[in-house]
Amino acid sequence: MAENELNEISLVYLDNIKKSFATNLVLKGVTLKLSPGEIVAIIGGNGAGKSTLMKILMGIYTPDSGNIYIDGEKSSLLSPSASLQKGIYYVPQEPMLFPNMTVEENVLIGMKGNRKALKHRLVELMKRLGWNISLSRTADTLSIAEQQLIEIVRGLLRDSKILILDEPTSSLTFKEIESLFKIMKDLREQGIGMFYITHRLTEVFEISTHVVLLRDGKITSSGPVVDFNKDMLIKGLLPEDIKSSIEKGGIDLGPSCDYTRESVLELEKLSGYGFKDVSFKLYPGEILGIAGVVGAGRTELAEAIFGIGEITSGKVLLNKEDITGCKTVDIVNKGLNYVPEDRHYNGIFSITDVVGNMTSCSLRNLSKFYTDFRKEREIANKYIQDFRIKVTGHDQLMKSLSGGNQQKVVIARMLATMPKVLVLDEPTRGIDAAARADVYKIIHELKNEGLAVLLISSDLEEIVELADRSLTMYNGIINGEFRKEHIDIDKLMAASFGVLDKGVV
Amino acid sequence: MKFFVNRFVKNREVTVVIFLLILFSLVGLKNPAFVSPGNLMLTLKGSVMYIALAIGMAFVILTKEIDVSVGSILGMSAAVAATMLRNGSGLFSIIVVTLMVGIVSGLVNGIGVTKFKIPSIVMTLGTNGILRGLMFIYTGGKWVENLPDYFKQASQKSIFGNMNSFVFFTFIIMIIIHLYLTKARNGKYFAAVGDNLEGANLVGIKVNFMKILAFVLSGVFASIAGMVYVSQVGFVGNVAGNGAEMTAIASCVLGGVSLNGGVGSVLGATFGAIIMNSINTALVFLKVPAYWNNTISGLLLIVIVSSDALISRYLVNSAIKQRLSVKTESNGDGKKEEIGGEINEQI
Repeated sequence: MAENELNEISLVYLDNIKKSFATNLVLKGVTLKLSPGEIVAIIGGNGAGKSTLMKILMGIYTPDSGNIYIDGEKSSLLSPSASLQKGIYYVPQEPMLFPNMTVEENVLIGMKGNRKALKHRLVELMKRLGWNISLSRTADTLSIAEQQLIEIVRGLLRDSKILILDEPTSSLTFKEIESLFKIMKDLREQGIGMFYITHRLTEVFEISTHVVLLRDGKITSSGPVVDFNKDMLIKGLLPEDIKSSIEKGGIDLGPSCDYTRESVLELEKLSGYGFKDVSFKLYPGEILGIAGVVGAGRTELAEAIFGIGEITSGKVLLNKEDITGCKTVDIVNKGLNYVPEDRHYNGIFSITDVVGNMTSCSLRNLSKFYTDFRKEREIANKYIQDFRIKVTGHDQLMKSLSGGNQQKVVIARMLATMPKVLVLDEPTRGIDAAARADVYKIIHELKNEGLAVLLISSDLEEIVELADRSLTMYNGIINGEFRKEHIDIDKLMAASFGVLDKGVV
Repeated sequence: MKFFVNRFVKNREVTVVIFLLILFSLVGLKNPAFVSPGNLMLTLKGSVMYIALAIGMAFVILTKEIDVSVGSILGMSAAVAATMLRNGSGLFSIIVVTLMVGIVSGLVNGIGVTKFKIPSIVMTLGTNGILRGLMFIYTGGKWVENLPDYFKQASQKSIFGNMNSFVFFTFIIMIIIHLYLTKARNGKYFAAVGDNLEGANLVGIKVNFMKILAFVLSGVFASIAGMVYVSQVGFVGNVAGNGAEMTAIASCVLGGVSLNGGVGSVLGATFGAIIMNSINTALVFLKVPAYWNNTISGLLLIVIVSSDALISRYLVNSAIKQRLSVKTESNGDGKKEEIGGEINEQI
């Protein structure tokens, strides 16, 4: 009886949901409630079952057992269109827009009603959000962040009662996150319920009303957000083996960088499309951060160094050798490699296995004509162990790995070419706390081995934690440089937004 | 100006029409008889069958699938329609039964592709073979001849002066479909499915239904093309519609319907079909021996499509470069503007 009363006031009541794929039990009986005006943060490592749970709510998967009540009414959600009719909208982590349609078409598609009125509402909404994106641009010209904003707008305009936000902030700038949170608070007051999946624990306390910790397909703890603190969340999330290293006070930082040695990478007044007059030196064993907001020109710079983007003037010197305008394959052979930002678009061969992905960049060194399969597997084994990559076997397909493990494979692939300089572009975007800690550890080990790392990140905490020295980029120019002892979040943030005078070295 | 140029290149239809005009004027200069009203109408008349095929094909290609069975659907439909005509069936029942051929074939294709997950090129290649074989069995390998005159004359009838009735109705149908695809609420669904399948699923579009519908429409239009064939040619041989699927696909691609799905219009496909057909007539007027036809139309197809792709890629790249450059150029006093902008937005 008591349960029935609960159902009546809740927007969503998931009752003992179980789901397995083949023999793999992903959800082991999850019971979850969402009431109007609540923001329930769902936190869990990769593979905890968050996405599966949300996809069940979205009608993409059907549960093996268990009941779903929407507005207290038992519902079977068999397809996304059925879920949409119930007022559920899912904002996916990887934007799923129609690349060839305009922003307007992308938002309004599938909506009923007068076109003009809808467009009017859309313009109003965009104004209220303060997000400035032209409605007539086609989606393929939008950055990932902009695409994510459009996804959110799409959900908001549909008057959904239940919004599922899957890591919406992973590629947004501070300003955009701020306005998103403002909107979320507005919506909450209007009685809309939200599931909020995130890996950024500070956000949990900033925005959510309730917390649900999910591990291995089970809810390990849940309750109002005031009952939790950050340490509890971290402990709830991490697998046993790394908990101890975190408690010891983080990872061993190793010796700081030796600046008396010759630099390995030097940029002399490098200009191209999206960046201008960029000069810096990178030393062996150094982690040099480049902080900046999305769209500051960091990725364009990295691509130009790597021989993908165009360089209009200036020089890139690798070990004193001019590599300006060299082909990418030559640059790789000379010892520079790049881990791109968008691993789905640029990074992985999703339908190949793990081994193939790891060695795809170094095949030339592995073979004269026939590939040396034993050596290939040895390399893969080494990285799978070193990086603690969770795989079922060498032949597991890349696309079936979680985001964090995919990223580790991509890094391993670049390392297999034995580079002297590694450029990492947003290495931890969209991966969970445990995998993030692993990636940080990997980066530190590389530094200790004498590799020079150029770390591009819009996650300032990441720069603070890792970098020996950091540059900030704003509107395509380097507008600040900070040594380790001067790096702090406030300064980096101010410089990223162009409101700080030239930083001190 | 930039807006105009962008608009111009994005609207592939315009490029195709311009190419069509250039083709006609160049050939017309060499041989004025080519651009006489009589010959123009003749060219359009000859295009009707390919336009029908191209419109149906456009639906399928928009959803990022392909249908290579339309040639055989055309042949089978033509054989069924002709046999019924010869046996003296009523016009209405002939049309219904013939369209059923297309509907059923399209359903089989669509269900095979969506439910059994067979790649569309394989599935439709299969039905192509099956239908061609069935047609042989159905006709016993003989031509279907001695058809009633009223049906054959239908394709010669003119309305509004010199306008051929088939051409007229084809354009009316094409325009209605074009308006539906571009203006109607559901019109964009076909393109959406081809553009981003998962995304379409997430906004509640029934993706499998849309794909099946596209194949059925492709079949229906192939059946219509079959009836046009019977009316225009007057008999049905065993090779009726053989290879027509390639012309239909080429027409679509020429008219800007992208094989990657999600881009294109039936308007473009129609003009593409007219060009494909005009090239053949133009070569006759230029006194080029007929065995050059395929080579030249193939070559032109590659030239047009690749030059178009190069131009639009150049424009996209320069737009991106310009956007990025503006950012770095504004650094001088841009700083202040940015801060001011933020404050404004907060109010």
